Amino acid sequence: MENSEQEYRVEMTGISKSFGVVSVLENVNLKVKPGEIHALLGENGAGKSTLVKILSGVHQKDSGKVTLDGVEINPKNTHDGQVLGISVVYQELSLVNDLSVAENIYLHKLGASKFWMNWKQLTKDAQELIDSLGFKINASAKVRSLSIVQKQVVEIAKALSEDTKVLVLDEPTTVFGPIDTQKLFDNLFRLKEKGISIIYISHHLDEIFKIADSVTVLRDGVDTGSMAVADTDTDGVIKLMIGRELKDLYPARHNEIGEVPIFEVKNLTARDTLVHDVSFSVHPGEVLGVAGLGGSGRTEMAKLIFGAHKKKSGTLFLNGKEIKTNTPVCAVKHKIGFVSEDRKEEGVFLPLSIRRNISVTNFNPISDKYGFIKIDNEYKKVLELIEKLNIKTPSSEIVVNNLSGGNQQKVALAKWLSIDSKVIIIDEPTRGVDVGAKIEIYNLINAVAQKGVGVVVISSDMPEIMGISDRILVMHKGTFYGELSKEKFSEENILRYSIGQTLKLEQLN
Amino acid sequence: MALTIKQQLSSPGGVLQFFVKHNTILIFVLLVIFSAIISDVFFTSVNLSNLLKQVSGIGIISIGMLLVILTGGIDLSVGSMVALLAVTFAILINLVILPVAILLTVVIGFGLGSVSGYLVAYQKMAPFVATLALMTIARGLGFIYSKGSPITFKTPGGEFMSNFANNSTLGVPNIAIVFFLIVIIAMAMLRYNVFGRLIIAIGSNEHASRLSGLKVNKYKFLVYAISGALAATAAIIVASRTNLGSPNMGMAWELDAIAAVVIGGASLNGGKGTAINTLMGVLILGLIGNILNLLNVPSYPQQVVKGAIIIFAVLLQRFETK
Repeated sequence: MENSEQEYRVEMTGISKSFGVVSVLENVNLKVKPGEIHALLGENGAGKSTLVKILSGVHQKDSGKVTLDGVEINPKNTHDGQVLGISVVYQELSLVNDLSVAENIYLHKLGASKFWMNWKQLTKDAQELIDSLGFKINASAKVRSLSIVQKQVVEIAKALSEDTKVLVLDEPTTVFGPIDTQKLFDNLFRLKEKGISIIYISHHLDEIFKIADSVTVLRDGVDTGSMAVADTDTDGVIKLMIGRELKDLYPARHNEIGEVPIFEVKNLTARDTLVHDVSFSVHPGEVLGVAGLGGSGRTEMAKLIFGAHKKKSGTLFLNGKEIKTNTPVCAVKHKIGFVSEDRKEEGVFLPLSIRRNISVTNFNPISDKYGFIKIDNEYKKVLELIEKLNIKTPSSEIVVNNLSGGNQQKVALAKWLSIDSKVIIIDEPTRGVDVGAKIEIYNLINAVAQKGVGVVVISSDMPEIMGISDRILVMHKGTFYGELSKEKFSEENILRYSIGQTLKLEQLN
Repeated sequence: MALTIKQQLSSPGGVLQFFVKHNTILIFVLLVIFSAIISDVFFTSVNLSNLLKQVSGIGIISIGMLLVILTGGIDLSVGSMVALLAVTFAILINLVILPVAILLTVVIGFGLGSVSGYLVAYQKMAPFVATLALMTIARGLGFIYSKGSPITFKTPGGEFMSNFANNSTLGVPNIAIVFFLIVIIAMAMLRYNVFGRLIIAIGSNEHASRLSGLKVNKYKFLVYAISGALAATAAIIVASRTNLGSPNMGMAWELDAIAAVVIGGASLNGGKGTAINTLMGVLILGLIGNILNLLNVPSYPQQVVKGAIIIFAVLLQRFETK
């Protein structure tokens, strides 16, 4: 903090980068002081990741200048970057599943210096590092056995295992619940005290305003400005990000919610997971929010209903009739849809075209009895959905891997709209999705509910779940712990139920 | 991201672009030109029809292999299956009338393939392991049923098959016609049928396939069963060519089939590959053997060249993905 006025730790000036003929960054500037948390904002595809990758040495800039503590640097690969003290926690986890936590944290050291490794010391160091972060993870455990939250922590520990001057975090909290997020923030404040510069990429604007000192916004590869966080507000930042004013993030809802539940779950208990005694109902036209901490069993519950996990007991009713969903095939037959939180692994087929992705759930209307596809009908159906969902693509033949996160998510949704689902369970509908696409997805959820579909939305994003749900159920340790009606929506109430507490007395009235 | 899409669309066409994209065809064309220059015997009808006869058997099992590889699996059993089923066909043709013998052989092939399919799809066994086991079982059974020696065709049915396998229609060897028909059917199934769509989806992302409510197990089972049926078809053809069924047939054919599929640009991770490119892969492998034979290169150096071509073909495919 001492020399903050004079010099910057990192100074990137006039950075330009293009891949082939595509220009990704144009004349971008980023200046970060020592002991500063600097937020880097922008919609998906705005160039944030590319900028960070130039800093860390993954990509090489075409023009511009990067200095670290006043000295020009030119890292040719990530190793160069690490040696200079630039550590990056990427969005995609880069851990080796079959190695232990300690081995992963010190992976860069393995084989680098001596022939013999002091495993005991290594494990001890790793344990100390993790303990210092305030998380409980056994350093000798295999990474495969960790939860996704723990993996993210290990990833952060790995970045801190070296003499770090600049720490870059790319969407570190997407998998974290509120408590873990707070722990992470405490750590960041501690690192900041030590004079480390932190570049923080996030779509969660509330986080930015909680922790960042200053912010740089990118839009379509151009920086639209840097400012101190104190000098701006959410609306101001969003305006810079999307280039227009944002009236309402969450659409107004005037849905007619049916009296009779369309879908009911009674005493559902899993065979292999912590989910037990789950009962709830969802009405046609209703958006039912499911909140809870990471690891509380929300995703497991969704997969249990959908037949992807095995049930031990419990019954499901669709329109009052009992149904069985022992496999996803059965669930789909009953027109129950499920959009996974893990878009890339479980949601879409990345190497296949949009058309092939959307058609895959239901070939009946577009094929003859021998299974030959009527291509014209297929195009018609797919193009209709692309238009309806406003998937931004020049054609239906674009490979889904080339779409932005938001558009990929729309493709995942389109799959279920193409079968006229009666119930759709959406797990983290906007994880890793930019603001513009978020609004579109909210509108879409709204429109789907309006058609009389029962929509269940699982989300860790508190403003989101309060903004789009008619009712929120809160999960705690594998079962529903409390229910909140719209007038009782508040972050505090959700959090209280999430950690197994009761609401404050005055709120119960 | 929007920019990368534009780039894709505006990428220029032209001959060069076509060949970069379909480099398997490029290799094939180059090899044909090279062969024609280097040997004046190459473009004779005798040589070309010999070439087609030689590749038809491996070609047919390569199509089965392609289906399996598209789902992300592998079928090591096909070579041994050819041996067992050739022996089976030779026994059957001496026992029952020809149509029944053909039908039974194909059904038995489908059944043997189903065993692999069951182990992989429903018992979650690794495809490599399950089909490795089937490979030794099939080879062993072939030797047991034939008592270790070839079984010759002795009936009029056998004579008919032998004539069929060694003759041509309109200058094209009959067995090559069978092979091409199978390629065309596979093309149609992969491009225009739900079956193809689903096995490609399964191969490109099995998790997402399950969570999309696809019958993943059923289709995984089916590709191995079909691979078995195609091995039976190949067995009938190769047995008929030589008028006998021998337990030594199809030795290491599974490796040639895998090579053909890979040269054809398919990914062993599944989800990528086409029938036409596999056909090219088969023809390329056959061409290499053919031209080296014409040049009187002994068989051991031939193997070295074959391996080198596989590496070269796969390296070339990287341009396509960039």
